[in-house]
Amino acid sequence: MDALALFGVFLKASALSLGGLSSLPLLRADLVAPGIATDDQVVQAIAIGRISTGPNGLYIVSLGYLVGGLVGATVALLAASLPPLVIVPITALARRWLLTTSVAGLVRGVAFATAGLLVATGIGIITATGNPSLWQLALAAIATVLTYRGTLHPAIVIAIGAATGLAFGR
Amino acid sequence: MSAREFGEVWALSQLSPGIHLVALAGLIGRRAAGWRGVVAAVAGMMVPAAAITVALTAAYGVIAASPIARAALAGVAPVTGGMTIATAALLVRASARHGRAHVAIDVAVALGFVVAAAFLGVPALAAIGAGALIGAIALGRERPTSRETSVG
Repeated sequence: MDALALFGVFLKASALSLGGLSSLPLLRADLVAPGIATDDQVVQAIAIGRISTGPNGLYIVSLGYLVGGLVGATVALLAASLPPLVIVPITALARRWLLTTSVAGLVRGVAFATAGLLVATGIGIITATGNPSLWQLALAAIATVLTYRGTLHPAIVIAIGAATGLAFGR
Repeated sequence: MSAREFGEVWALSQLSPGIHLVALAGLIGRRAAGWRGVVAAVAGMMVPAAAITVALTAAYGVIAASPIARAALAGVAPVTGGMTIATAALLVRASARHGRAHVAIDVAVALGFVVAAAFLGVPALAAIGAGALIGAIALGRERPTSRETSVG
């Protein structure tokens, strides 16, 4: 995939998402389904994005690097940085409109749709191997609860997964 | 910048597409130093973190094919899947309105999208378009608050 096409894929996912990880369903549909990236690469990118500094949404830079090297990482960084900035001129020109109930409802509706897509994507990642073991399903449930509660740093949750994988995955 | 101003730019950043923290940095940068401030704030937030992310990805790439890394990945994969599902729940928690009736409606709509996406195979773009339409028509009766989310 050439750099411009990759930029287009990342830009679309970023522009149609709300918050860090919510670009994942669109990216998985556009990159994994056609065979440009694998689910393993998506998993690596999410894990590294959670361990690394900066916003969670920077996982797409890791995914960009895995798919297209330094050029891929650069286009992913640009695609992640540009769409949120549309809020700057819109705020300057139409701040009152942004605070109307219609806009609030629109954003809320997109958030709920994105939540549905994220659940589908999460299930897709968990079942990507076709037949997850019981320990893998248990890990997924534990990670869901720990992440929702937010009391443990994500890197620790990932380390628990890696350690369990080393114990049971060989 | 006063606490009230910060609260307002935070609330506005939550309406942006993509990574909300980028929008927040952009809005703060604009207030501080115009368009140069936008570029400085966003670059300052994203470029070092992106460089660290690339370095970590490249470092992992060196050992990615080893049997130990493959085994670890078998445990990390369900964890990232679980994290993705938790992110969905956090997104609903942050976006739902106040009041029992509103919460019930909002959660029902979100569950409807879970069924549509996970079990009926509704494509992402169609779901997002439907969400925008349903939201603009029926879910707007309370303004979003500036509550902090951990969605990023």
